[in-house]
Amino acid sequence: MAIVHEFSIAEALADQVLAHAPEGARVREVEVRIGALRGIEPDALRMGWDSVTFGTPLAGAGLTIDLRPWSIECSSCGRAWTSSVPFVSCECGNETPTPHGTDELDLVAISVDEEET
Amino acid sequence: MEEKGAQMAGSTHTVRVPIAQRVLEANDEIAAGTRTQLERRGIFSVDLIGAPGSGKTALLEATLRAVAGRHRPAVLVGDLATRRDGDRLARWCDRVIQISTGEGCHLEASQVRDALGRLDLEGVDLLFIENVGNLICPVGFDLGQSAKVGLFSLTEGDDKAAKHPYLVAEADLLLLNKIDLAPYVQFDRAGFEADVRLLNATVPILDVSAATGAGMEAWLDWLEARAAA
Repeated sequence: MAIVHEFSIAEALADQVLAHAPEGARVREVEVRIGALRGIEPDALRMGWDSVTFGTPLAGAGLTIDLRPWSIECSSCGRAWTSSVPFVSCECGNETPTPHGTDELDLVAISVDEEET
Repeated sequence: MEEKGAQMAGSTHTVRVPIAQRVLEANDEIAAGTRTQLERRGIFSVDLIGAPGSGKTALLEATLRAVAGRHRPAVLVGDLATRRDGDRLARWCDRVIQISTGEGCHLEASQVRDALGRLDLEGVDLLFIENVGNLICPVGFDLGQSAKVGLFSLTEGDDKAAKHPYLVAEADLLLLNKIDLAPYVQFDRAGFEADVRLLNATVPILDVSAATGAGMEAWLDWLEARAAA
């Protein structure tokens, strides 16, 4: 089921990239930034991306995913760190440090081939 | 003109073009339009998100029964393939639109906008949007709703909140359904709430049973208080 969610996002992303790419320019790379709250599996998003761009002018464009991790804060000892999962124990023994995630889902940049003029 | 790291390759070179835009911007813009339209009409709207079998349709049936005569509700119901949920709800409400999402695992703003276009909203003051049964996909898609309500149930297990942090963090209200089954299922209610609190310090959690009506009053009070605000 999660894969379908990543497919919808890949579709929206492809539309957006096409809208921004100069007419006829070949898109080499697409950079996205995704907050931990979104719960997006990078592999599923890549699979979705490859699938929705297959046979389109975007075929072969790479996807660089900057997955922002959870920020974990321990209220017992004050330690702060980042983690790929929200529920983790602190080395001080506290089993319930507080996770903070962000929910950005942004197209950061695209890299395109341009003809020399 | 060229950015650092641009590659020369024959007669072309690669240029990095910064964009910095939300991927779901098109969806969010449609949702913003819906929100303005609903607010102008004084309609309080709820996006109801829960897993398959959590009791979304049952909760709405009980809710529609309870508000009959006091409010003028309308319902949009998203479902993958069948009309069953819509048919169930149509027994209690004369303004129900079924949205068949096909393979889509969530509703998107355009589907809600189009469905609202087919609905007579005259006099309506409450709009319920039953999302597709799924705890993950619907959360990130703004529909233009006033409030996002997450529905969990005792039979799903007490770890569902921890496993679905986005819904818990984003929800304006969490309902815990099927509390009438408490004597029969293992469910660590305190542990469930502790997980919720780590992700969302303030969201109210209301225990309800759509089957017996237990706790429904608190849910209706919440609805009416938020609708009046």
